[in-house]
Amino acid sequence: MVAPAIELVDVHAGYCDHVVLSGLSLAIAEGESVVLLGPSGGGKSTVVRLVLGFLAPAKGRVAIGGQTVAADGRTLTPPEERNLAVVFQDLALWPHLTVHGNLAFVLESKGVPRADRERRIREALARVGLNDKERRYPGELSGGERQRVAISRALVQDPRAVLLDEPLSNLDAPRKRELMVMFRQLFEESHSTVLHVTHDLREAAALGDRIAILENGRIVQDGSFAALREQPATPFVSSLFEDLDALRGPP
Amino acid sequence: MVEAMGRALSTSVRRHESLLILAGAAILLLATAVLPLVRLVTEIPDAIDGFALFRSGRAWRLLGRSILLSGATTMLALCIGVPLGLIVGRMDVPGRRALWLIHAFPMFLPPFLIALGWFHLLGQNGFLGSEESASVLFSAAGLVTILGLTFAPVVTSLVALGVRGIDVSLEEAARLVAGPGHVAFRILLPAVWPALALATTVVFTLTFSELGVPMFLRVEVFPAAVFARLGGVDYAPGEALALVLALLPMAVLLFLLERKFVSRRSFEVVGVRGTATTPLSLGRWRTPLAAAAWAVALASAAPIVVLFLRAGISSNGPFAFVDWVAGAPFNSLLAAVTAATLLALSGFVIGHGVARGSRFAAVLDALAVLAFVTPAAVLGVGLIGVWNRPQTGFVYGTAAILVVGYCARYALVAIRVVASAVSQMPVDLERAAAASGAGSGRRLLRIVLPLNARSVGFAWLLGMIFCLRDLETAVLFYPPGGEPLTVRIFTLEANGPEPVVAGLGVLHVGITAVVLVLGSAFIARCTRW
Repeated sequence: MVAPAIELVDVHAGYCDHVVLSGLSLAIAEGESVVLLGPSGGGKSTVVRLVLGFLAPAKGRVAIGGQTVAADGRTLTPPEERNLAVVFQDLALWPHLTVHGNLAFVLESKGVPRADRERRIREALARVGLNDKERRYPGELSGGERQRVAISRALVQDPRAVLLDEPLSNLDAPRKRELMVMFRQLFEESHSTVLHVTHDLREAAALGDRIAILENGRIVQDGSFAALREQPATPFVSSLFEDLDALRGPP
Repeated sequence: MVEAMGRALSTSVRRHESLLILAGAAILLLATAVLPLVRLVTEIPDAIDGFALFRSGRAWRLLGRSILLSGATTMLALCIGVPLGLIVGRMDVPGRRALWLIHAFPMFLPPFLIALGWFHLLGQNGFLGSEESASVLFSAAGLVTILGLTFAPVVTSLVALGVRGIDVSLEEAARLVAGPGHVAFRILLPAVWPALALATTVVFTLTFSELGVPMFLRVEVFPAAVFARLGGVDYAPGEALALVLALLPMAVLLFLLERKFVSRRSFEVVGVRGTATTPLSLGRWRTPLAAAAWAVALASAAPIVVLFLRAGISSNGPFAFVDWVAGAPFNSLLAAVTAATLLALSGFVIGHGVARGSRFAAVLDALAVLAFVTPAAVLGVGLIGVWNRPQTGFVYGTAAILVVGYCARYALVAIRVVASAVSQMPVDLERAAAASGAGSGRRLLRIVLPLNARSVGFAWLLGMIFCLRDLETAVLFYPPGGEPLTVRIFTLEANGPEPVVAGLGVLHVGITAVVLVLGSAFIARCTRW
């Protein structure tokens, strides 16, 4: 049996006395795109930090590619050795490096030889339509272009999985739609494993093969958009669809 | 097999890279600041005879008097600095930048130079002097006034930086319903209380350690008593040790107060946030308050102008001091540049750790606080105890001992400047680098350092200025023939020709100004991201 790309088993985590996750379990298969959907402040970003290695679970286990990387309060594999990529909500593009520099830094850190590095940077930027902007600094780009650099920086390193921590939440609706299409296409082309956290059901529907609902620190329902709509497990899940229908207006 | 062991070792080093980098900075701090304090504690049994001093009650009176004088100076500095900080930080007074600059400059000079300027202005033979003005100058009141004016810019600058960093919406919400005075005192001032707590600690600490001004004005204080027993006519090292040990509890008390009231809150004070909006209009109060603020600023600068005038009135011309200067400026610059560079490097590593919540770095920060609030005489005696031995003559007998002393006393300055800047940098920038495979060293050098180059440069500049103006640490152990400029001026002050001493003072002012201008220009060239 092939081990999941990312696996969280009975994970408990929190900050000081505040419990954020209590018994969360989630497995993501290789090449699968899973959206973790939950209310603001519900612990979605905590899950991202656990997987990336910036937080260790107080109890439970985190595994990547079948190998346990953190368990019961101990980090066994530091973030830089997990071969993951992330796009944060604020994108976290390094402002003192050009677009090329942002991508090159990642590949240098991975020890990719110079010739190969340049080729991969050119290809990655071409895929997002930014090969004419490689000498620009992030501050010189539009919001949408910065999003594309961020996703390009994540994919150029050929990671084991990509984590998206609400990177589309600050965009207007047309820009968001455009980028969702681009993200979906890029992930399908690269056969990436994706964990995408959001509080937006439409974003979840557009980007996830599967949606996991995080409520009260654990996964309360996990399935396709249609399955969730068909049989919502909790009032919170029902409310998500009611809100969506209300926004769309009467049929 | 060997290859596998090599790989395992490399992985282990990589995983502990951040700890190893911090350990390097820790060694510097431990060797310079902690060893002397430990040494003092171990010498308590040897100081039993010296404690006899305290039976007479004179030592207690001296201690009480020093605490009272430091308290009074701190109060005066707060009374001047708080309103002035609000004015230069957020009010619409004309030329407030120039006002701030003129008022703040004396803060970068050794206080005894300012006292020297006042002496040439108000001393018996001063430009505006009389017997009465001289008697006020050479008194406790004169000491408090001079030090209060000298250290007021610390308060002014911290309050001004604090109010400029306040979220604009807080102020704008208040301005809809209240006048500028009400907004300043009810909204802005309470929001900058960490700045006030920091300023109070810094001014009290600097005043208590001050040696040059009390000795010049012949006001008896505790550090002067220690100094006299180490190198003067009252030579009695055992008694000096006893006096110094009596100050240790005070250092611990100041340390505990800093932990409770300042600590991490100081990051909010010396931040790099730029939120300047339209200044608050003072309305009909604008003219009188502007006049008062400018009067204080000019009073701060007056002693420097007087020093220039006094240096110029010499029968041998304005450059008579050149024959007396020897290698002192070079000694000062060499020690200050070396120490500032070490301070900036260690401050960068420890400050980053503190900002990112490392417990090890927090312990190092606490030790740096302890070294800073410990009176200079205490630290100096500890340093002599550690380094004055045949095996370490290469340090104690050379300029290296000055570097050690400066690094011990001013480590905190660089740590807090960097910690403040890094804590305002989004942590996701470092997380993104870590997730991309960059180890701690690479992240520090390629991400954190370039993004905080200005702050590291500022930490270097501030460290440099603190080292250049230092007298009270260096005077206890400067190497023979290697005295810094402050010590040179201080030793000539008692018996040297007045124009020469004034000329040396002007030389010090010039060096400080050049360092500040060049340093600021260099920092300004670092791109702000």
